Amino acid sequence: MDAILTVENLTISFRTDEGTITPIQNVSFQVGRGKTLGLVGESGSGKSVSTKALMRLLPGTAMIAPDSRMAYRAKDGRTIEIEKLARNGKAVRRLRGGEIGMIFQEPMASFSPVYTIGNQMVEAIRLHRGLGRRQARAEAIDMLAKVGISSPEARIDQYAHEMSGGMRQRAMIALALSAGPALLIADEPTTALDVTIQAQVLELMGGLQQDLGMAMIFITHDLGVIAQIADEVAVMYLGTIVERGPTKEIIRDPKHPYTQGLLEAIPSLESLDHRLKPVPGDIPSPGERPSGCPFRSRCGQAIEGLCDKEVPLETTFGAARAVRCWLHEERGRSAA
Amino acid sequence: MSETLIEVRNLEVRFPIKTKGLFRSKTVELRAVHDVSFDIKRGETVGLVGESGSGKTTVGRAILRAIDPTSGHVIFHGPGGDVDVAELEGQELRAFRQRMNMVFKSGPVELSALTGEALRLFRPRMSLVFQDPYSSLNPRMTVRDIIAEPLVAGGIMKNREEIDQRVREIAARCKLNLEHLRRFPHAFSGGQRQRICIARALVSRPDFVVCDESVSALDVSIQAEIVNLLKDLQEEMGVAFLFIAHDLSVVAHISHRVAVLYVGSFVEYAPTRSLFFHPRHPYTHALLSAIPQADPEAGFEPIRLQGEIPNPLAAPSGCRFHTRCPFAKPRCKEEKPDWREIAPEHFVSCHFADDFDFARPQG
Repeated sequence: MDAILTVENLTISFRTDEGTITPIQNVSFQVGRGKTLGLVGESGSGKSVSTKALMRLLPGTAMIAPDSRMAYRAKDGRTIEIEKLARNGKAVRRLRGGEIGMIFQEPMASFSPVYTIGNQMVEAIRLHRGLGRRQARAEAIDMLAKVGISSPEARIDQYAHEMSGGMRQRAMIALALSAGPALLIADEPTTALDVTIQAQVLELMGGLQQDLGMAMIFITHDLGVIAQIADEVAVMYLGTIVERGPTKEIIRDPKHPYTQGLLEAIPSLESLDHRLKPVPGDIPSPGERPSGCPFRSRCGQAIEGLCDKEVPLETTFGAARAVRCWLHEERGRSAA
Repeated sequence: MSETLIEVRNLEVRFPIKTKGLFRSKTVELRAVHDVSFDIKRGETVGLVGESGSGKTTVGRAILRAIDPTSGHVIFHGPGGDVDVAELEGQELRAFRQRMNMVFKSGPVELSALTGEALRLFRPRMSLVFQDPYSSLNPRMTVRDIIAEPLVAGGIMKNREEIDQRVREIAARCKLNLEHLRRFPHAFSGGQRQRICIARALVSRPDFVVCDESVSALDVSIQAEIVNLLKDLQEEMGVAFLFIAHDLSVVAHISHRVAVLYVGSFVEYAPTRSLFFHPRHPYTHALLSAIPQADPEAGFEPIRLQGEIPNPLAAPSGCRFHTRCPFAKPRCKEEKPDWREIAPEHFVSCHFADDFDFARPQG
């Protein structure tokens, strides 16, 4: 795979008053150039922490383990080792926005309330693409039109609070894209939106991605959204990726009991007469991670003496699929 | 099931909005809810869907009298006799307060006319569960005090032991550990917090609870758990729910009937299956087509509605949907469609609904 981003053995710990906790353990994934990776999991599974590490946006109490690797192939072909960059240096600032863009669930938090949308877009374009003021403004208007904002010449001089929710979300996408990133991290960008607006934003992001040849990491807990937009999925549970592979295959034939549980919990119009099936129990806090397989405390098929003792190895199926579960290993099958 | 609990008739809510003019400010009226009529039966769940800004929350709050309706009626049918609390004032009301239970067990009561004292006495019959389980719990109160608050504030119970008893009972029903009652809310996960909110809403044994986006902020697994819990509690306690949400599949799972709201007006109201599988209004049809399906093989072709939701300050003439409706004809612009019953229990507001049947394959 022609990967734009390769993450290997990413482990992140935080020093807290109650001792060191490790919300991310041995996470490895790749994002192909121009492809979309969907990152799925419940709140507390570490989706946001791992992507914030890519932008070096974690607070000072966070420690990235020494053997973690985050290799990013920049637009000029050089490989940037993100983990080695100084946390507030020039190189990181060039990376943020210009190479890797990010959009969030709450658009109001990404815009400054005291500058117009245009002010902020022009600043980003001038900084990252070195254009003059007038050119940058033309570029910003063009980008607003691309994301489907009507009369962009007038909208560009408005403040974020003057726009409706859907329009603000589109303006935020325009802001992130105006710096011309090669990789976009979208953290639950449609969760707070109505289904109609969500459908529009998903269509828009898919289209822009094709036009610009941009890669995406799309974080969400909605598998319906993932099915529409992602080429590959990584399912996270308590700081580890328990299953990854092509979206269609994972949804059609999930191998990990957690992925199976997540898919079964989705309310669907096809099963109105059936009771919804939640995954039993709550996700433990990172400080109370169970020994062995992290999911065993909620798993109906846990094998005593194996799943509670040893961390499952990664079993691969073909080139693209992998799952971390003892049920798919020889040792697990013989013990079950 | 068939007994009507709440009748909403021609409900209208307007908010005055001050706009800045060049020399003086002007006050215009925002019609948040416009001519809404529907019934809620005892022990049933009515789902309320619509895009943001359509007035879902305002309808819910107007029924609870958390905001005052501008006009229209909200009539609450209590079980038993026939005393109209709405007419009571001063001395009579105070006398009535002594026999509070009788007030609550008598009906019908016109909520939209209740004021002050009478309203406060009435509130325990109804309740509200909010969207965000993090901000709706006071961090300085123990879970026991949070759940007990409606009993104390409503003056329903004074005896501490009785209150404890009731709190423990409802906590157990909401699958909360008795151990948890002594703790503070920060120690709980999102799902547990939402169970605390539900326990608080149900502790006064209300007949009616408004759940305003109560599961929207939760993960899919916890969402499923809360939906199941609400269904179980409804069966045990016979409470009716008004379930407001923007996630249509969740609404389909919990509701007996579903209403679709567009810019402050109802466009369709029908039993869940009819609404989801035989929608008659073009807006409902478009809304349903936008639900993303987890099955990658299932076609996903959301209908693209033209333009934005109209500003409620300048709502379109005639049918409010005509500016975005793919089937709009000149008549839609001039004439407001009637609210009519097109099939048994299936209400719609569209001139041409007889021509449409957007049937969807049923699983």
